[in-house]
Amino acid sequence: MAAKKACESFSKSLIEDVHKWGCMKQTGVSLRYMMEFGSKPTDRNLLISGQFLHKELPIRIARRAIELDTLPYGLSEKRAILKVRDWYLDSFRDLRSFPEIKDINDEKEFTQMIKAIKVRHNNVVPTMALGVQQLKKGIDPKIVYEDLDEIHQFLDRFYLSRIGIRMLIGQHVELHKPNPAPHVVGYIHTKMSPVEVAKNASEAARAICLREYGSAPDINIYGDPSFTFPYVPTHLQLMVFELVKNSLRAVQERFMYSDKVAPPVRIIVAEGIEDVTIKISDEGGGIKRSGLPKIFTYLYSTAKNPLDEHTDLGTDDRITMAGYGYGIPISRLYAKYFGGDLQVISMEGYGTDAYLHLSRLGDSQEPLP
Amino acid sequence: MAAKKACESFSKSLIEDVHKWGCMKQTGVSLRHMMEFGSKPTDRNLLISGQFLHKELPIRIARRAIELDTLPYGLSEKPATLKVRDWYLDSFRDLRSFPEIKDINDEKEFTQMIKAIKVRHNNVVPTMALGVQQLKKGMDPKIVYEDLDEIHQFLDRFYLSRIGIRMLIGQHVKLHKPNPSPHVVGYIHTKMSPVEVAKNASEAARAICLREYGSAPDINIYGDPSFTFPYVPTHLQLMVFELVKNSLRAVQERFMYSDKVAPPVRIIVAEGIEDVTIKISDEGGGIKRSGLPKIFTYLYSTAKNPLDEYTDLGTDDRITMAGYGYGIPISRLYAKYFGGDLQVISMEGYGTDAYLHLSRLGDSQEPLP
Repeated sequence: MAAKKACESFSKSLIEDVHKWGCMKQTGVSLRYMMEFGSKPTDRNLLISGQFLHKELPIRIARRAIELDTLPYGLSEKRAILKVRDWYLDSFRDLRSFPEIKDINDEKEFTQMIKAIKVRHNNVVPTMALGVQQLKKGIDPKIVYEDLDEIHQFLDRFYLSRIGIRMLIGQHVELHKPNPAPHVVGYIHTKMSPVEVAKNASEAARAICLREYGSAPDINIYGDPSFTFPYVPTHLQLMVFELVKNSLRAVQERFMYSDKVAPPVRIIVAEGIEDVTIKISDEGGGIKRSGLPKIFTYLYSTAKNPLDEHTDLGTDDRITMAGYGYGIPISRLYAKYFGGDLQVISMEGYGTDAYLHLSRLGDSQEPLP
Repeated sequence: MAAKKACESFSKSLIEDVHKWGCMKQTGVSLRHMMEFGSKPTDRNLLISGQFLHKELPIRIARRAIELDTLPYGLSEKPATLKVRDWYLDSFRDLRSFPEIKDINDEKEFTQMIKAIKVRHNNVVPTMALGVQQLKKGMDPKIVYEDLDEIHQFLDRFYLSRIGIRMLIGQHVKLHKPNPSPHVVGYIHTKMSPVEVAKNASEAARAICLREYGSAPDINIYGDPSFTFPYVPTHLQLMVFELVKNSLRAVQERFMYSDKVAPPVRIIVAEGIEDVTIKISDEGGGIKRSGLPKIFTYLYSTAKNPLDEYTDLGTDDRITMAGYGYGIPISRLYAKYFGGDLQVISMEGYGTDAYLHLSRLGDSQEPLP
């Protein structure tokens, strides 16, 4: 089936508009700015924010739409990629055809529209993953997917940009909620306790491990539960959950049939001046040094691949213990989004340590790939 | 005092010879080859080895002599650097003027000569350090030394090459020793126990800490003492010593005036298929993320600089707890020399983990910068 080009479904003038906006300069926002601005969600501020997004979102979305059309190895022609590209073009059109935001009523309508845009893009990650898998199947088996560096770099930029777009939209939408919880500014919790979030994420990961294996290693968390700092709890939850999930699986598989007691996974939360660092340590046997770069690529996984063409991504919400292969790279993007990082070091034959560095300063601009 | 150019002390034809040999291709040797070859130190093999070194050493030495003359920021003109350069030129001349090695008697004389060359170069590292310090003093203070990346890259290549030259010379010289200990092939111990070496290095580091501070934190070592693999014990001893020294100092300084008991430094030795990994963990308060790259530079140190122009480097053997600032970068070079690596990760406000990866395969060629 021939690839459906954008020009067949979208008007020529729209495509030209996409190219024009895709070349415009992006504007980054810092965590600190989001916090300060969002702490006073007056009508005037919401109007300013709406007008900013009305200009900024099309730039970011157009940029990605253009990239989706120009991917190497024929990736752009895969059905799943075309689907995602069309979502981006639809959203671009919605934004560009929305009239100038003049008052708070315009702004309310605008907010509804971008909320719908966010929902439209909910399944981008698994759909892109499907596209990459479609590519993998068709490609010369001698080319090792993990070596397709261009595609990995694209996916890193693409997903990082998506995090930013969804953060901006989500933040704006949340600010309309009346009676916000204390210390909460949109998605940001000004007094987030990393130890609390780590506990919750650990329990969730342990539950999945129990369901999959019938047992789960212990998790010990060390750190001051009363220590707090401003951050986005859902981001941290996601990252810790992914890393703990990996650790539990490694330890479980190593000690399942052994007489020895499975050693606990250890989480340490450290409070620094520049950073809050969370280390997740396991004794799950480790990863050989030559294999470590692979864990940051997309679709590399040591588990059976749960993704296939017939998965109904709309309704299948079950989180599996492993398989997609993008828990680690995407966690790193979340860490980098606010100026942090994720490092993974392993001791082959012993275990793995993952270090989540979260910047405390809050001044870093969003990275804008 | 005007810089003494090479041409003033060395003949024109020698300088031309240096440039000719400095362009010739270097030949690397692997740990495995050194082991297999050295396990049969027959006259014939020693002859072959001597003839190889007669060709290989001048290439490596000439390469470095040329680089020493072409360093940026005026480093080449510093008295200390000129001294080192002259050592390299003298050694080059000794090698080139040595006649063809035809029999085992020639080979014995050759061995004495290269032994003397090695002794001549014993103090290269502190002398180069002095040269760099001389540069630092004369420099515009606005230039932050740690940013002088060109010089750091030069020093990395220079010291890495030196490790190789001294390994080749030392290995050859040692093979002449009658009645070698069991399992020892020159500098290589075919059944080295990393746990044993770590214990010895730790005790040495602890002794220095005791001498300097009056007390020292405990060190706990985890790993199988009966596990052995082929490696160069002196290299591992040096690396573990440097890293443990740093950890002890960090913990000591953090807990010296505190009521709390100083937490022990923990060393874990892990046996993998590709690698043996040794982790040295401390709770000494950590290093901020933005400051971490500095620890791999030369002459960055958080201690008072013990080096000055009047230090009698020939007789002063006292090892200090800290100050030179090259324990970590040079340890990393030793690790890389046989295909391994050194990684340092820190948790600001908590502590630092250093990971020494030692390649078990032994097939890596020497890196030849």
